[in-house]
Amino acid sequence: MEPASQVILQCEHLSRSFRRPDGSMYQVLGDVSFSVHENEFLVLFGPGQCGKTTLLKLLAGLDRPDGGTVKMNGQPVAAPAPSRGVVYQTTALFPWMTVMGNVSFGPLAQGLSKEESRRRAQYFIDLVGLHGFENHYPNQLSGGMQQRVGIARAYCSNPQVLLMDEPFGHLDAQTRYMMEEELVRIWQEEKRTVIFVTNNIEEALYLADRLILLTDCPAVIRREYPIRLARPRDYVDPEFLHLRQEISRQMDPAQ
Amino acid sequence: MSRIPAKLQRWFRQNRQALLWVVISFSCLLAAWQIASMASGGRLQIPPPLEVFQAFFTAFVKPIGQNTILEHAAISLGRVLSGFAVATVVGVVLGIAMGVSDAVYAIANPIFEFVRPIPPIAWIPLSILWFGLGSANKVFIIFIGSFTYITINSYEGARNVDPQLIGAAQMLGASRLRIFTKIIFPSAVPYIFAGLQIALGVSWAADVAAEIIYSQSGVGWIITMGMNNGNYTQIMVGIIAIGVIGYLLSTVMRAVEGRLCRWNRQAK
Ligand SMILES: Nc1ncnc2c1ncn2[C@@H]1O[C@H](COP(=O)(O)OP(=O)(O)OP(=O)(O)O)[C@@H](O)[C@H]1O
Ligand SMILES: [Mg+2]
Repeated sequence: MEPASQVILQCEHLSRSFRRPDGSMYQVLGDVSFSVHENEFLVLFGPGQCGKTTLLKLLAGLDRPDGGTVKMNGQPVAAPAPSRGVVYQTTALFPWMTVMGNVSFGPLAQGLSKEESRRRAQYFIDLVGLHGFENHYPNQLSGGMQQRVGIARAYCSNPQVLLMDEPFGHLDAQTRYMMEEELVRIWQEEKRTVIFVTNNIEEALYLADRLILLTDCPAVIRREYPIRLARPRDYVDPEFLHLRQEISRQMDPAQ
Repeated sequence: MSRIPAKLQRWFRQNRQALLWVVISFSCLLAAWQIASMASGGRLQIPPPLEVFQAFFTAFVKPIGQNTILEHAAISLGRVLSGFAVATVVGVVLGIAMGVSDAVYAIANPIFEFVRPIPPIAWIPLSILWFGLGSANKVFIIFIGSFTYITINSYEGARNVDPQLIGAAQMLGASRLRIFTKIIFPSAVPYIFAGLQIALGVSWAADVAAEIIYSQSGVGWIITMGMNNGNYTQIMVGIIAIGVIGYLLSTVMRAVEGRLCRWNRQAK
């Protein structure tokens, strides 16, 4: 089934280093290559501080690699563009805009009319379950609701690829399960290519069509797993638990 | 009809404790004043509070010089608001320009750092020579004294924009102009308001100083006239007017800020 779909985003030999305060260099990304297929839900799974955000910023075009290339539909990615939507680890909502203002920002920025932008924003606000909160400011919303706004905002500028950076990392466990379920529902209703970063194995297995396992810093790809479990998935399904155990064992550097 | 009193009642109930302290605090001040007035026994001229308040309220109908006290207040306020308005426009534009452009910063900052520490009253003689004896020289002094605070804060605000928000706006396809108007400017607004708040206080102080040194009307003039005529009561009436207007200015400013920066308030 996979070969039929098209490669939409491709990265080759990406590397990135940062300068430490003392002047020495510090490599965060080793040599990372992978491609993403249309409408695939790809999860990048790696330990904390391994360079996941750094990698995602390169894919977004918010940062430039030291080596290697990122290509989208065959064209090199050189700058931020609305064909890639980002959902941030820290929400990064515009605090002086209401929910409606945040979600309709993308279409307005791309030159759609006010009415059309609002209509589209309303659709995605409803889709993420925030009907009735259009005129709330972000600081009036709970963490889970803020991330829903972040997802709606990313969707609303109609990107081909959605990049999600641990969007549920700051939520409590209960809200997190609910948001994962919601995300799968939203994604099944509005299919897009998703690249989702997480350091939570349960979350990774619940969401992924394919899972890429990253190593500690400098991050390289350790292994790749296609996840063929039927959706909606069950956290205590024996197959789920088996995969979880196997991948956890891979994560442990002692093994 | 019944809505306003209910609201007022609730306000009183919620602020009963605070109001009580205000009453106590003013009672202490008035008592100390009364005692000082009696104890000085005419050696120091300290008119008793009752006399001063009587004169204060009489001045609403009976003019001091050419104008009633409300007219004097209106004249002073007109000067302050003109100077403050010019300072706001210049300060915000200059400050944000310095914040977003390194070239503007490099050129403007040295001049700015030189002008900043000069106290507004130092400009009074020059301002009188340039702009004459009327209101224009006060407006200039108010402007020169207050625009620096607005500039500095606008600059800080424009510098402290969260780069992630700019990135997010870029990802959503925003042009440079849109990023400026929708991200950089609003994010600087709370800083700008902090500057406006200080600048308004400074404006008021600069105006009063200018009026005391030379003027033919305004609340500062009331004081100078009182001094020239040895009228202690009139001097104190002028001081009370200055205090009341200063308080009202900063209260109005805070209310405006509360309206415009609703998003910046802490949740719940
Ligand atoms: N702009 C930068 N300058 C210097 N060092 C950086 C920069 N960005 C990231 N780093 C460093 O690179 C390392 C990896 O950071 P990154 O944020 O990519 O990790 P992460 O996997 O997203 O971490 P987390 O799980 O906490 O989200 C960190 O040690 C961080 O300090
Ligand atoms: Mg991260």
